[in-house]
Amino acid sequence: MRRRSFLQAFGSATALLPLVGTGLLKPQAALAAESGRAAFEARTALDALRLLGAGAAEQNPALTIRAPEIAENGAAVPIEGISAIPGTTQLSVLVDKNPFPLVVQFNFGPEMLPRFQTRIKMAESSRLRLVAAAGGRFYTVFRDVKVTVGGCGE
Amino acid sequence: MADSIKIRATLKGNMGEVRLLIPHPMESGLRHDLAGQTIPAHYITSLTLSLNGRPVMEAGLGTALSADPLFSFQFQDVKAGDKLGVTWLDNRGQRGGTETVFDTN
Repeated sequence: MRRRSFLQAFGSATALLPLVGTGLLKPQAALAAESGRAAFEARTALDALRLLGAGAAEQNPALTIRAPEIAENGAAVPIEGISAIPGTTQLSVLVDKNPFPLVVQFNFGPEMLPRFQTRIKMAESSRLRLVAAAGGRFYTVFRDVKVTVGGCGE
Repeated sequence: MADSIKIRATLKGNMGEVRLLIPHPMESGLRHDLAGQTIPAHYITSLTLSLNGRPVMEAGLGTALSADPLFSFQFQDVKAGDKLGVTWLDNRGQRGGTETVFDTN
């Protein structure tokens, strides 16, 4: 049973596989995904933002990032990102003090709302940034999170 | 990959919510085992969602998503029976995925 469900899952994964990494959503989404890969290697948030093309991102109150003020376990910090900016196609999360600040980048098609929830690792207390791309411009919002026990190294 | 993806795709009116848990170690390559050896990086780099066979979301992932990544996403204008596909690819070239349908409950 388990083997069968695995095979089914793998079969459908194989069918969809050509889509992975090709950014078929839109040409600009593909470009974003390409530049995003380099940004994942960046060691500082500012370098990552530059590589995302978001170096000049303006703060915007229509963006929301929710996270606990104090996170007891840095290995799993629940976060939620929401954009109310019309035409948002991309949301990225950065943790300034992580060894590699760019955590994740979502490229949304029009069928989806530009929002997500997930859990991230934080090495130590840090500023969290949500960056949105909408209409070729970048917007950002910050939140500071205190971490009791870090969740990246050692 | 012994464990399979846990996924739920629920409807409220024409709004859909997808909750997704992918069993994966998400090793950053920055940790050490008890003997002081570096634990090699092993993490998902790409996640794709499709709706009725068409890609609707592509995410790039770094090493700092938590182990067994958990996601929640929202769709507009979906209906019962719409097919949702998920695929992921990791830094070792391993991949996985699953499919489900939107349902009201």
